[in-house]
Amino acid sequence: MPNAPQDAGLTGLYEEHPRTDIVQNLVMRAQKRLQGLPEPELDRLLEDALYQEKRRLSRLRPPPQDDLQALDDLSRALTRGDRQDRIRAAVDMIRPWANEIHGRFSLPSYRFASKVLPPVLTALLSAQTSSLKDVGITPGRRLTVDGDKELLQQLAREATLILTPTHVSNLDSPIIGLALTMMGLPPFQYGAGLNLFSNPVMGWWMSRLGAYTVDRLKQATMYKDLLKDYSVQQLTTHHHSLFFPGGTRSRSGAIETSLKKGLLGTGISAWQENLVTGAKRSEVYIVPCTLSFQLVLEANTLIEDHLEEAGKQRYIISDDEFTQPRRVVQFLKRVLSLDSSIVCRFGQPLDVLGNPVPVDPRERAEAAEHRLGYVTDAEGRVQRDEQRDHVYTDRLADAIVKAYPTLASLMSTHVAAWTAWRLLEKKLPGRDTWGILRSGRYQRHLSRQAMLQALARVMKQIDAGAARGAWHSALPDTADELLDIALDRFARYHRSKALEAKGDEIIVSDPKLCLYYRNRATFAELEV
Amino acid sequence: MRVGILGGGRWGQALARLVIAAGHKPFIAWADIKPPHVLPNSRNPPEVAAACELLLVATSADEVRRAIRLTRPGPRNRVVVAGRGIDPTTGAWLTDVVLQESDCLRVGALAGPSPVDEILSGGLCAGVVASRYDEVRSLLLTALHSSRYRVYESVDLTGVQLSGAMMPVVAALHGLTTSLPGAGIGMEALVLSRGVAETIRLGTALGADSTTFVGLAGMGDLVASQARPGHPHYEAGVALAKGDTTETSPLKLARAVLGLARLFNVEMPLTQGLVRVAEGTAPIDVITELMQRRPSMEYR
Repeated sequence: MPNAPQDAGLTGLYEEHPRTDIVQNLVMRAQKRLQGLPEPELDRLLEDALYQEKRRLSRLRPPPQDDLQALDDLSRALTRGDRQDRIRAAVDMIRPWANEIHGRFSLPSYRFASKVLPPVLTALLSAQTSSLKDVGITPGRRLTVDGDKELLQQLAREATLILTPTHVSNLDSPIIGLALTMMGLPPFQYGAGLNLFSNPVMGWWMSRLGAYTVDRLKQATMYKDLLKDYSVQQLTTHHHSLFFPGGTRSRSGAIETSLKKGLLGTGISAWQENLVTGAKRSEVYIVPCTLSFQLVLEANTLIEDHLEEAGKQRYIISDDEFTQPRRVVQFLKRVLSLDSSIVCRFGQPLDVLGNPVPVDPRERAEAAEHRLGYVTDAEGRVQRDEQRDHVYTDRLADAIVKAYPTLASLMSTHVAAWTAWRLLEKKLPGRDTWGILRSGRYQRHLSRQAMLQALARVMKQIDAGAARGAWHSALPDTADELLDIALDRFARYHRSKALEAKGDEIIVSDPKLCLYYRNRATFAELEV
Repeated sequence: MRVGILGGGRWGQALARLVIAAGHKPFIAWADIKPPHVLPNSRNPPEVAAACELLLVATSADEVRRAIRLTRPGPRNRVVVAGRGIDPTTGAWLTDVVLQESDCLRVGALAGPSPVDEILSGGLCAGVVASRYDEVRSLLLTALHSSRYRVYESVDLTGVQLSGAMMPVVAALHGLTTSLPGAGIGMEALVLSRGVAETIRLGTALGADSTTFVGLAGMGDLVASQARPGHPHYEAGVALAKGDTTETSPLKLARAVLGLARLFNVEMPLTQGLVRVAEGTAPIDVITELMQRRPSMEYR
């Protein structure tokens, strides 16, 4: 959710560049790339587009006539046309895609939302405040935001930022929007899957508040290239952007350990393009960020999807809790009425090669000068090399993945689930994850005493880890309190409970949910 | 193209000859050993880094860190380590040593048979360059590939470096076992093939490609230059058999590799055996124990 513009010149979200210009720019980029391809590669790319689009349209009832026409034209050009005909047909296919990607931003809606939505969300997410000014960045509220505010504000003024958060829920984007507001940062734009627009209320707003459209059903390489072009185009015109580099919501609940490099790699492309054009603010910095939730809206669906073999293929979930407005409201009401239920933490900014960005302005300027050597020749000319940039982006991805655990907050629900799961593993030796999931409810009883003792041991390790900066702890002081909080949270929203208390026993009632929340703590390698 | 070579020793000189054979100009940076005056050189390593895009590190493995500190390669340099893969002191890959000690990111490793005398006297040879960067491999190929020296490319940086580190160990094991009374060709075959087998075991655990170890960096290096009398690595094994426990290069590498193997829980009985002999166990006892190990699948 973007806030009011601090400097309208900072972002093209305000349509500094007319929509037609942007679409035309994208088309020209695509055309240039297609023209630079050798014959066999061009044919492979177009054949791939033909195949993928045929597949996509065969699943739509009824398929859009314009898309069918574009497909026919491409097919004809491929069989009977010359090189120029094929490129023309491909460009004709790309143009509506470009329109769709950039097609929904509305300046009046944006202006309205900039005024109205932050206080509404703030009131919803904060304890007693109703005014944005009162929120502050202090712990103990429903949304806790942490990070080097001054540095990030400064970098947002002198460079283009890419925010790369972990991703667990479709609520991440609006919450990050609010967090950005609380940090006093300008708006960031982000790609939202077409499926997200199936929730009519959220979809309407998202589309008008800086979300650009990504149709994940479009699997053609040509479409993915267009998305990257769009990102480069937007970054070079100083739009701060938000990518979820995990690609999709973490199905298992665990923090991402590997990232998709496609969009991430557009950072280095944009930086080099800025260097070539001599842009004034050429630097592009990446800000890792984590979101930690006590409870996750779509936990049930996500863990089911993770566990189902078919889940591997089910990239787009179009029927989860997010698509049911009643469930979203229920979640907001029951979960967000709690203090510190969400922590959003911004990490140390990185450059496009994965190096930390110095805080000191002079050192930062020196680092920027020094960085040129990685992409320029002895005469200082930028040398484009896609393969080299892939390796640089891998390096950046490694740095982001390393930063995530250090930014994450371990919460009561994660730690209680982790501990209960480990105790179950000990109680049911020789059983793997599936064996535990299949165990009978009577086998999943744990003594409350044993649970508390194990929690106390785990909490010590968490405190030690937090002290050495390996992660953050959002835990109460005692194991008793932690267990009570976790049991309370698990009883609040989900239809079944991950853990529940019965007399002197703790029962892992829903082992799948327990596994989901337990997975969030996997990175810490705690021992009970 | 001007190619920087760090190290004025015989390997550095051999690489300089290969650079000349490929039609380019070598520029040797040296600190202790001055190369012959016919080869352009400088005692100011940063001057070489500034003058040459590509730098070849031709020092011994335990000198790489010092060479990089002295040379201070920058972001524009590409550094290829033509050495024994692992820093024996820290157990780090030599390309990681370059990354740790400089601002250079684009690194690679050159390995394979390195019969220095043959190369210096105009003999034919080949090597393999590994790097994740196409441009590093391409530059190295331009710098060295000629009718005298063929350069093959690989993306298996781990495999090439591990081969470089392990072949001296296998060569020393060869020297050790063939010096024992009663050892024959069967023993030689056993040690060489099982030495390579345990290298492959560790390599695959580290994510390397097993075929790398039967290529130039592995078998090629072993066959062409190391596993034969007279070679220092082979002779290190012979000396061990005679009770001389001097800390030679293969021994240092064996210890470093064992550190890695422990981390990844990989068994390396032969390498372990070499270290045990150096620590005082009688070679014959080590061999007897190795022969009495329980039977197992050849590759697992």
